[in-house]
Amino acid sequence: MIRKPITPIPAKPSQYGIDPSFVKSRASKLPGMVSVMLKDLFPDLPDTIYPAEGNAIENIRKAARESLYKIDMSMIKPEDSVNILASHHGFTLFGGEPYAELLKAIKDVVEERTGSKNVRLRAGVGMRFRETEEYIKRYGLDTYFGKGKAIGLAPIDEGIPIETEIGTLYGLKKIYDADWIIHAHHTDVREVHFHRQVDKAVKPFGMSYARIETRSTYHQNLGPRAANFTARAIFESEFVQSKFAFASFMDVGPHGIVGVDSDNDLYALNDRATFIGCQRYGKIMTLFGDIDECIAVLDFPCPVPYVFAAGVIYANFLGANTDLYDLENNALPAYTWYTEAFYDKQDKPILGDIPPLNPAIKMCVHNYAWTGYPSAFFSKHIPTVVVGKEQGDLFDRDSMNLEYMDYATTIKTLEGAMQFAHQTTDTDKVIIFDGAMGGINVSESMARLLIDKAPAVSERVDKVLLPKWLKQRGVDISILEKLK
Amino acid sequence: MKEVTMLAKVDVDKCIGCKICAKVCPVLSIKVENKKAVVDAEACRACGNCADRCPTYAIEMVMRETPIKVGVDVSKFDHKEIRELCEKAHFNPEQVLCYCTGVRADEVAAAILDGADTPEKISSVTGIRTGCTIECVQTVLRMLDAAGIELKPVEGGWQWYGKTTTSWTLPNSVKEKYPSFYFEEDNELLDRIVNTVTESEKEGSK
Repeated sequence: MIRKPITPIPAKPSQYGIDPSFVKSRASKLPGMVSVMLKDLFPDLPDTIYPAEGNAIENIRKAARESLYKIDMSMIKPEDSVNILASHHGFTLFGGEPYAELLKAIKDVVEERTGSKNVRLRAGVGMRFRETEEYIKRYGLDTYFGKGKAIGLAPIDEGIPIETEIGTLYGLKKIYDADWIIHAHHTDVREVHFHRQVDKAVKPFGMSYARIETRSTYHQNLGPRAANFTARAIFESEFVQSKFAFASFMDVGPHGIVGVDSDNDLYALNDRATFIGCQRYGKIMTLFGDIDECIAVLDFPCPVPYVFAAGVIYANFLGANTDLYDLENNALPAYTWYTEAFYDKQDKPILGDIPPLNPAIKMCVHNYAWTGYPSAFFSKHIPTVVVGKEQGDLFDRDSMNLEYMDYATTIKTLEGAMQFAHQTTDTDKVIIFDGAMGGINVSESMARLLIDKAPAVSERVDKVLLPKWLKQRGVDISILEKLK
Repeated sequence: MKEVTMLAKVDVDKCIGCKICAKVCPVLSIKVENKKAVVDAEACRACGNCADRCPTYAIEMVMRETPIKVGVDVSKFDHKEIRELCEKAHFNPEQVLCYCTGVRADEVAAAILDGADTPEKISSVTGIRTGCTIECVQTVLRMLDAAGIELKPVEGGWQWYGKTTTSWTLPNSVKEKYPSFYFEEDNELLDRIVNTVTESEKEGSK
């Protein structure tokens, strides 16, 4: 089961990261690093269309077209304008190209089936206001959609009030400046510490399509679980319902893209994403919680919490010491913004029952990760070594990370940083968050731990945890058979 | 509290005078005069919104020659008054409101007690909402509202539009209709946070 390392996602030019030329070494190339495939750990994961043999990107287009030809587009008339709504996260999955291909396919099929010539792309972001502008250029979406038709939007851009069941919330004006909207997203689990696998498919209506007031409502006003109602409130508003045409999602697992799922009924798609998502991601999440000690290496073109290993982001690994899917017994995971807010001036949790950040992470080696997300909480609570002065300087200039380097140290090279980490922590278990597709790059000792523990984790999830998670979400295990 | 190390700098040759920079500045430090953006260097808190929304890339963030420290000294204000205001807004005084700058509720309360009566003034004196400028906006609005200060958005600006619902103002009909969102349980959790007196608060209030 132990294989040679998987080639990681390459460093990418961005205003949020150091120039790729400064990324001198990748952790997966270090001596002693190996990989384990996710399908070897959990053979019940479905087959993928990406990655796959041959030109796998064509599989995405084919799956998208087949899916899109099955849904009703009759509401869109030739003279109507259509906004395809996208989010930054999709471009961080499996190199970014598959999501870009889905967006292109949606445009093409909508034009073919409706005759509309006014199909635009509106790509929202979170805290890095230029991020989707960068993706639009990188993947040629600006030329594909035509001049001025593909734009990136930020949550501080002009807004519009949306009347909802919980009062006025605010969306981005240019998200809704068309007759129809198409919600183009994915089923990747991503920030389960925030959304808790509740209304995951609806979330962008309260986030990347929303104004600052709405995002702040989610992250400050309602509580860690209740917050998930924010997106539903907006989506169910008369205004949004009057424009919603359909949704088209990349259907993904931790190991790759399984297909494309489109539906006129977002809640039907949401059910599939929610319940099947618990099944697909639950095992690797739980296995990560069984890691007893490790050095975590960040090595991916994304902000610190969003770097990937085995389809799981670092932010989730920071809370892997608790069950992030358990809604009843884990109200405040080890890391969410609510949790971060509830640390007092002595940097202790205000409530005694708030769990610490994953104590298995003995040190974080930050070889390559971007700015653009407040990350000082991580360096304050996890010993952190940043590789290269350029990277430290970049964080010192970021308005969201002025304190990140106050709690981290800098070492010139990755090799030196790893030596320091091994000597300081006395562990040889290394996990690399580098976006390796289909598997995970780790040290050999970590590979053996994962292989040894995976069967028992699989059984525990199937027999105990998954039934519990589904019950907490109002369904029983038989739902998985029905959704097949 | 924030150390402001950067500063917005305008390339007037690239500036088209569109005013977007002024609409997104959380401290009103940038204006358009004679169709060109002008930065008030003393007022800039270096969030970078202007640079990141400028359609012509006419603004860049540069290092200041001398950093500015902004912050309100909480110890100069009556702790009882600070706690009362925080509680009214449903915050623990030591709760972090701004994840980027680390500004806590007590400092925002102190700023209000010191006379800051708009979100922009509070950001200017404490540094809150000058990082991402997104996630903490409701906390500032809630504190001002709790202090009985009328909230008036900047005319023509996009800085903020309005206060939204909280765990304490959610309609009962919604709570009853959607029990699976744990509204009551989270409200109880948030109240526990508000009502807990931390060790450092006990020390500080002595």
